[in-house]
Amino acid sequence: MKIKRTWIINGEKLEAEVPPMRRFLDVLREDLQLKGTKEGCGEGECGACTVIVNGETVLSCLLAAGQVPDGATVTTVEGLEKTLGGKVLQAAYIEKGAAQCGFCIPGMIVSSYALLSRNPTTDAAQIREAHAGNICRCTGYDKIVEAIQSAAEQWPVEAKG
Amino acid sequence: MTVQERGAYRVIGQGIPRLDAADKVSGKAEYADDFHVPDTWYGAVVRAPVACGKLKSLSRDPAFDWSQVAVVTPEDIPGNNIVDMMGRDMPFIAHDEIQYLGEPLALVAAPSLHVAKQAAAHFKVDVEERPALLTLQEMVAVYKEDPAKLHKLSGQTIRKGDAASALKDADIVLEREYTAGHQEQLYIEPQGMVAIPERDGTMFIHGSMQCPYYINPELCETLDIPPEKLRVKQSAVGGAFGGKEEFPTLIAGYCALLALKTKRPIKMIYDRNQDILYSTKRHPSWSHYRVGVMKDGTIRAIECDFVLDGGAYTTLSPVVMYRGILHAAMGYRCENVSIDGHVYRTNTFPNGAFRGFGAPQALWAWESLIDELAAACGMTPDAFRLKNCLHEGDVTPTGGLLRDSVGSPEVLEKTLERCQFAEKWQQCSRGKSGERLWYGIGLSFFAHGSGFTGDGEARMKSKVALDLETRADGTPIVNVRVSSTEMGQGTGTILPQVAADALGIDVTHVDYPMPDTFKVPDSGPTVASRTAMVVGSTIYSAGQKMKADLESFVSETLFDGQPTELVENQFRAEYDNRSIPFVEGAAAYLASHGPFRVYDQFKLPDYVKWDQENFVGDAYPAYAWGCNVAEVEVDTLTCEFRVTKVTAFFDIGRILNPVLAMGQVQGGLIQALGYAMMEKLAIKAGKYDADRMQTYVIPTSVDGPEMDLHFVEYPWDHCQPGAKGVGEAPMDGLAPAIANALEAASGVRLRDLPLTPERLFEELSRSQRLTA
Repeated sequence: MKIKRTWIINGEKLEAEVPPMRRFLDVLREDLQLKGTKEGCGEGECGACTVIVNGETVLSCLLAAGQVPDGATVTTVEGLEKTLGGKVLQAAYIEKGAAQCGFCIPGMIVSSYALLSRNPTTDAAQIREAHAGNICRCTGYDKIVEAIQSAAEQWPVEAKG
Repeated sequence: MTVQERGAYRVIGQGIPRLDAADKVSGKAEYADDFHVPDTWYGAVVRAPVACGKLKSLSRDPAFDWSQVAVVTPEDIPGNNIVDMMGRDMPFIAHDEIQYLGEPLALVAAPSLHVAKQAAAHFKVDVEERPALLTLQEMVAVYKEDPAKLHKLSGQTIRKGDAASALKDADIVLEREYTAGHQEQLYIEPQGMVAIPERDGTMFIHGSMQCPYYINPELCETLDIPPEKLRVKQSAVGGAFGGKEEFPTLIAGYCALLALKTKRPIKMIYDRNQDILYSTKRHPSWSHYRVGVMKDGTIRAIECDFVLDGGAYTTLSPVVMYRGILHAAMGYRCENVSIDGHVYRTNTFPNGAFRGFGAPQALWAWESLIDELAAACGMTPDAFRLKNCLHEGDVTPTGGLLRDSVGSPEVLEKTLERCQFAEKWQQCSRGKSGERLWYGIGLSFFAHGSGFTGDGEARMKSKVALDLETRADGTPIVNVRVSSTEMGQGTGTILPQVAADALGIDVTHVDYPMPDTFKVPDSGPTVASRTAMVVGSTIYSAGQKMKADLESFVSETLFDGQPTELVENQFRAEYDNRSIPFVEGAAAYLASHGPFRVYDQFKLPDYVKWDQENFVGDAYPAYAWGCNVAEVEVDTLTCEFRVTKVTAFFDIGRILNPVLAMGQVQGGLIQALGYAMMEKLAIKAGKYDADRMQTYVIPTSVDGPEMDLHFVEYPWDHCQPGAKGVGEAPMDGLAPAIANALEAASGVRLRDLPLTPERLFEELSRSQRLTA
């Protein structure tokens, strides 16, 4: 059985016909060839597969395609550079040295984007809490927190709210 | 040769962003699971159901549909069924003896991963099971009874002076045992590889790896093909930490054998559960010391047994043990040292490389014991270390002379001052009753050998190349051609920085393409904190050669033979002040001569002498130095404890990129925090109990303490730019610093890693320090 869905993925309207129990991660990576989103554990622990669905961060490895509602707006790492806030975040991650191996970064930076879109006046403790579900084995997190703080300071007015 | 002052460099020492950063923050970087190869089949491994036994037969379930499945058994291996790392005892596919649970018995491939997995589950395995030796604790128990009852994988001794006699003269002798458990590397990208059989008979291996040239000789022997028919290329690597040093040879072999059989590309991406169960871990260790000190704090004699649980086969365990014993009595003056290193077999997956490579295990025990020795002499931990620490001109446990670039005692002095250790030491709770929260501060001090152990670098003779080529847009580019890999640590940025500086150009004109054995010489593996020091200095001299050749070309063809210098991106003529941009001169060179390659090769200084048989001499060309201080808080109601602050100084030699170097220190310390108090693997029914990310717990963004981190710069004098190593030292010292702080807080000492509230509760109960 397949279900029909229309989603807005990274600003583009897309019609999909997928088995309802197919992992949304596989829909993104295999069916839509959006390979930026990563699989690190397949059980919702590492956060590398984090994407935003209707404003909320979700773990796409635990999400069935059928759980993504018709008409849903989806943002993956590939969509960030199409937004002002996403560009600011990318620049801050680059400048502060927040990425090392980079494998956790697609999920990490998507979580950052979701947090700052919700609350651009966030502080370091809130940033750490909001990223506790994104595991990084390289950086020790300090540079990631620095990058998000720096992006928060420059968060564009257009992207607020 | 003396290295230049820091100010003499233009690009080296700048915290420029990583060259691969834009790809990594946009999701464009291509990891092993990201590239599309048409007609790929998926591989899976048929695994042994017991940890120890004899394989009697392997058969396929006739009810299963095998028409879409390819199977490889040992009979299908064209060459030798051997993975020869440092011992020829490990087969690619077991055919007789089974030495660990999950050892490969056959390989399968199918058009979908689902079918491949199903096929792997439809084998009937008949084995005669034998008793397995599974844990460090079981191994040590047998060792104490009779070491000859164990299967020895490797052994080595260090002898200096006469430790046995000197122990008799000591005022105080402490005998202590410490253990450390497994640690999983837990790179976020699981192991993954693709093997593509090409039309001309070349086998192309592409995937996640640290050491492309490890795979070459291994697979040539197994596949029975000449080296020119094996091409190995690194994809973007999502973390490695040693876990992708030797292991990728196995998964590359599985893929290549299946590719040979099916004549199709084969892909294998481990899921996290497979990755934890069937890849290498940090070796569990048992350190047994007898150390004699005089009442004034002089260390008179050190005797040590350093025993590693090697897992099932030899693999790289000998060198892990070597690095362990070379650090097991390092850092302090002592004339009488006797160390016996051993590696024994247990029936688990072979243990292997992990950041620090034996040094964290050795230093965990040694730096804990230093605190115990200080206390036995009635001295504070800082005073004892300041009294005994090695200085420039002192001699190491193997008799090596510390000639230059010795960051001791400065890292120690600076750290103590920065965190106000002496004052805070007075405030420690020491298990005082009646307080809910206990406070403690603890210290560790250590050296970490940079580069290969002993004469490894002299034998390796790392080769590098720089290629002046034309980019697709027509502009000239200098490509760094090395087998040193970028796996997050920054190789792909620091080496272009070094090349740019040596050439006198901006780093925008230099690139680092992913290593491909068809294009790069063998610069050695990306391990042992050697890349910045060894490969970096060789790139520097290659850059100077290329610079000289380009200068002479521009001088002759464009500047009428005037002396010409390439500096700050410009070729400048000495007499008439003419100048042209680098790109113009380089483009002229390319138009006239075509692509231009410069080779260079690392040469160890002549003064580095090493006797590999007796372990006497200069064990390493240089050392990084570090000092870590941890402050802890213990909740006496729950015995939970947390590290509130870490203060540390490191001497890593010349800092090539301060942002990346600090990233290594921060990340390494957080891994060390996990090793010290979070990451625990027990073995139940022959199997690691924490075999998923849900159960194997590593630090998250809310687990780290406040960190106050600094460098002091003692460049290595032998080569420009004088880097030593930064990758591993941050892994070395935090566990003992935390254990030392816990003792200062609670009054009890924990001698087993990881340090857990349960263990603290047991020790406190035993010492009757808990009032409740």
